[in-house]
Amino acid sequence: MTFVVTENCIRCKYTDCVEVCPVDCFYEGPNFLVIHPDECIDCADCEPVCPANAIVSDSDLQPHQEQFTLLNSELAELWNNIAAQKEPMPEAAKWDGVSGKLEYLQR
Amino acid sequence: MSKPEKYVPSEREQAFLEQVQNAKYNREIITGIKKFLSGDVPDDMKSFYSRSELDALSELVNSDRDVQKRMPVKITRHYFEQARNSLPMQVLIKASPKETVDLDGAEDPGKQMDYSPVEGLIHKYELGLIYVVSTCSAHCRFCYREELIAKKEVTRPDGSIAPKGLAQIGELIPYIREHNRLVAENGGRHPQTGREKLREILMSGGDPMVLGNRNIAAWLAALAEAGIESIRIGTKELAFFPDRFDDTFLDMLDRFHETYPETNLRIMVHFNHPDEFLKKAPDGTYVENANGSLQWLDNTRKAVKRLRQRNWINIDNQAPIIRGINNDPDALRIMQRELKRNGVENHYFFCGRDIVGHKAFNVPIEEAWTILNESQKGLSGVEAHARLSITHYKGKTEVAAVTNEPIPGLPGAENGVLIFKLLRSAADAPDRCKVTIVGRNPEAIWFSGYDDRVLFDEAELYSMYGINLKTMDRAA
Repeated sequence: MTFVVTENCIRCKYTDCVEVCPVDCFYEGPNFLVIHPDECIDCADCEPVCPANAIVSDSDLQPHQEQFTLLNSELAELWNNIAAQKEPMPEAAKWDGVSGKLEYLQR
Repeated sequence: MSKPEKYVPSEREQAFLEQVQNAKYNREIITGIKKFLSGDVPDDMKSFYSRSELDALSELVNSDRDVQKRMPVKITRHYFEQARNSLPMQVLIKASPKETVDLDGAEDPGKQMDYSPVEGLIHKYELGLIYVVSTCSAHCRFCYREELIAKKEVTRPDGSIAPKGLAQIGELIPYIREHNRLVAENGGRHPQTGREKLREILMSGGDPMVLGNRNIAAWLAALAEAGIESIRIGTKELAFFPDRFDDTFLDMLDRFHETYPETNLRIMVHFNHPDEFLKKAPDGTYVENANGSLQWLDNTRKAVKRLRQRNWINIDNQAPIIRGINNDPDALRIMQRELKRNGVENHYFFCGRDIVGHKAFNVPIEEAWTILNESQKGLSGVEAHARLSITHYKGKTEVAAVTNEPIPGLPGAENGVLIFKLLRSAADAPDRCKVTIVGRNPEAIWFSGYDDRVLFDEAELYSMYGINLKTMDRAA
């Protein structure tokens, strides 16, 4: 029961969310971030700071975004924790808003 | 807001912080009434709200009376499991349409922004309060920080409008050092405000205990480095998720104490009702020990005992008296007795503040005083330390006494009087323990309920707003 990182983070990874998260519950893959659903305390601090509007409450997911709930919980177990903000991916601005990015997700 | 200067920890601080470990916690939090409406909750939670309760709440969604716009719904599994068998706990944690019947109230109760020289700091006394996080593990419906938790916009003294922000180490620590430097140079008082040295900081929010150990440790160390003598952590986590007080947290505290042995820690806990920490039998009665004292939930008691084993840590309880939750002398008597027996001091009970929607929660001031007074009958002196406090703009004020007898010859005192005692004045410390006496009004739920019957105002709780004594009105 948590917030979920959705498709528009892929190939952007701005990491503003990581900076504001009070419980450090973000995990980082090569080109995507996820939220650990059991560690998230639902404070909603990350949602408005995401430049890509990629973070959504699990109660507000659109039907096509629902697959990201499972993806966040799976990948949070595999990836390393990220606790400090870093530079976005080099082509973040170019990819922000592009549809169909899920096919580029690297695990 | 400009980004604060990057804070550079000292070597000693860095060495401490490098040893701190974070742990993972699964509070099994449910957020949002939507999940209960759609049945997207674990099976055992599905009946926590009745169908008729859900229907009533769902009718209000997106209207002016939407209960979640005032305060989002949030609960942990631990709290749910106790609340299943406790009506007072259900009133504390479950949203109700009653909350938004009358939305009268202050957007910034106590006008805290007037006392905020740095974002996230409320500096009123030798004690400063900082917001370090804007959420808790679960949400009390009566929360008086609802504007922070629900991220509402408030008007600041300069006229700008923005949500309340959190304190940043890089901004707060230089402020504390500079304030204390000026105080020291000026013979113990700040040259402009007259305030004393900042000796104590209360970490609040939100609940600091939702933060990871490293984050809490960074605050503790930075405050200790800045010369703070006592640090308070204001938390309801002992009620919401007592397992948070685990080995990794206590290990962090022990290392902190090794590094800063002169810094005292005061855990300010928040129990409203004994149901939050006592074991109950299937018939609803509390489970007794052989000597007649009562059995605590194992994890709550373990957390309290382990904190109290550290002689540099104090635990104090403070809670508001709220209608339907703890306006019950018997419950409060049991709570005060059991807390004290287990090493938790009873500090303040509060009159509910004039928050938005306060009329659904607050009991009249005189009733709150009577409830506390009744609850303390049968307690020993050390068990009955708690006082009833109400927060005036000027500072923390005690509801010291309510009399039933008239004062002969004093117009306005025919039905008895209520005595307020200003415990500390925020702007002007010498006003400590001055009193204000008002004629009784059993309906009054805030200071304003006595505007027409002020009999004596040494503390200037009313004259500061141009409100005269009742006797002077007559003379005029």
